[in-house]
Amino acid sequence: METTDKLGRILMVEDDAKDVELTLTALEEYNLANEVVVVRDGEEALDYLYSRGDFKMRAEGNPAVMLLDLKLPKVNGLEVLKQIKSDDKLKVIPVVVLTSSKEEKDMVASYKLGVNAYVVKPVDFHEFVNAIKELGVFWAVINEPPPGSLKK
Amino acid sequence: MKQADLQLRISRSAMLRYVLALTSFGAALGLALLMQRFNFHTVELPLLLFAVAITAWYAGPGPTVVTLVLSIAFFDFFFTEPRYTFEVNSSDVPYFVVFVGFTLLTAWFSAVRRRVEEDLRRTRDHLQSEVVQRTEQASLLDLTHDSIFVRDMDFHITYWNQGAQELYGWKAEDAVGKLSHQLLQTVFPVPLDDLRSELLRSGRWEGELRRTKADGTQLVVASRWSVRRGEHGRPVAILETSNDITYRKRREEEVQSLNQQLAKRSADLEAINKELEAFAYSVSHDLRAPLRHMAGYTELLQKRITTALDEKSRRYVAMMLDSAKRMGTLIDDLLTFSRIGRAETQKTAVSLGQLVKEALSEVRQEAEGRDIAWKIGPLPDCYADRSMLRVAFVNLLSNAVKFTRTRPHAEIEIGSADGKRSDVVVFVRDNGVGFDMKYVNKLFGVFQRLHQSDTFEGTGIGLATVQRIIHRHGGEVWAEGSVDKGATFYFTAPRA
Repeated sequence: METTDKLGRILMVEDDAKDVELTLTALEEYNLANEVVVVRDGEEALDYLYSRGDFKMRAEGNPAVMLLDLKLPKVNGLEVLKQIKSDDKLKVIPVVVLTSSKEEKDMVASYKLGVNAYVVKPVDFHEFVNAIKELGVFWAVINEPPPGSLKK
Repeated sequence: MKQADLQLRISRSAMLRYVLALTSFGAALGLALLMQRFNFHTVELPLLLFAVAITAWYAGPGPTVVTLVLSIAFFDFFFTEPRYTFEVNSSDVPYFVVFVGFTLLTAWFSAVRRRVEEDLRRTRDHLQSEVVQRTEQASLLDLTHDSIFVRDMDFHITYWNQGAQELYGWKAEDAVGKLSHQLLQTVFPVPLDDLRSELLRSGRWEGELRRTKADGTQLVVASRWSVRRGEHGRPVAILETSNDITYRKRREEEVQSLNQQLAKRSADLEAINKELEAFAYSVSHDLRAPLRHMAGYTELLQKRITTALDEKSRRYVAMMLDSAKRMGTLIDDLLTFSRIGRAETQKTAVSLGQLVKEALSEVRQEAEGRDIAWKIGPLPDCYADRSMLRVAFVNLLSNAVKFTRTRPHAEIEIGSADGKRSDVVVFVRDNGVGFDMKYVNKLFGVFQRLHQSDTFEGTGIGLATVQRIIHRHGGEVWAEGSVDKGATFYFTAPRA
């Protein structure tokens, strides 16, 4: 792909292994799967962002986009979002909430915390794949990430 | 009594007074002349003086003068020398002086007596009217249903009205003289000494007292005390009015306990609502995820082995996907339905015209490729929760689109009419398959469907949601239709 050198890193925070697999399958079709870093709960997500714990040795720089589930073990999605948006270094990271929840109160809370997009995972697989693809392409390819983001 | 009556008659009639004067004079003279004939001398002067005195005492000044003049004249004529002439000697003068002096003295006594009598009568009248007035006041006090009683400053009862008797059951003769708080076993809300000092300072006290009746039943009274002050502002008595508030008090206590129960209920309800919310959230999140996985993996499987599958197997896979999708819709619809029951309505002025436009754009996808004539009449503004009312419209329009599917040319009309009071009636009419009015009651029930799901798909929640939305706005919803002749759905909403 021509745009390969422009691809940004995608940080995916998702506790459900099946959702991870289906999401990665969807991204594979656009060769985006390799750019994805998967963490399984809110604490790991924060560890990654602050380069601590298991991620002490990772390359510097923020992900180009973060796909964030809301219902997560240990530290939930809204808490992660709150932490990111209140940290000067992290608040530039585009955050897309990708969740099963259609609850209005989650949506309102996310937007109030400054989320960049809110996507409800469709039950229908075609729609799900399309949504993931479009998200991946838009945030990792089309969108110009903030300076200092990790590229391939 | 008879004498007083005679006196009154004499004093009233001038003629009677003169008759009395002449009669007494005539009687005295006649008696004197008679005595003289039998040689009783010197009784004529006292007799005539007596006649003058009687006249002066009873008959007033005019007749007295007449009697006096006649007595002097005839005394001179009959009893002084020279007799039988009216000639006056110097020796007669002392007699005249005696006559005049005696008359004046008697008249003065009479005047004094009259004045004393007058005073006495006036005092008696005054006393009488006072008695009447007091009696009236006392009977007025007895008329009131409020209990009124008076105590001296040591709390001994001095007056006790009918109302007090009715309220406490003690008669006046039992109550008067007793210590009020002992008789009534009063329970004071503050110590009696505090109450007394408050009473003396401000002259009044108000409060609720618990007391016991003569028959032993307890009661609560609203009581007002005021101090009556005598000379130099010295407090002399305490007037207390009180009325029975036992019933009111009991009601108040009942209301209070009901309120407490209500508060507990609403706290319970709130807790249940929270639980329900958590449940709905969990359903929303946790139920959809496995469904998505089922659909996802089935699809992936389908993609890998589609060429190896025969027609039947492909259909099975398609059915699995269809069912997963259907369950997804069901969950979404149920969540919407439950959310509408829980969410607070946020009412504003809403343009129905604009709302219908938005709802139309949402059902456009379902209407794609169909020949539908939309007829939209003028729609007013409503006072409603915008997002809820939008859900209602989407459901109604989506139904209209769905149930006209078998028509080559569908007609769907949206319009409004004036309703009762300030309501507006909105209707959505279609020329679709309609329904049998026999089943109209089932139309708005949750999971109630009038068509087989392979003819017209659906979850059976849409109209239940519409009804819940309209009811939450205080409106009504109903439907008319007949088989194959279309259906009309009506709802009312408050006009903006």
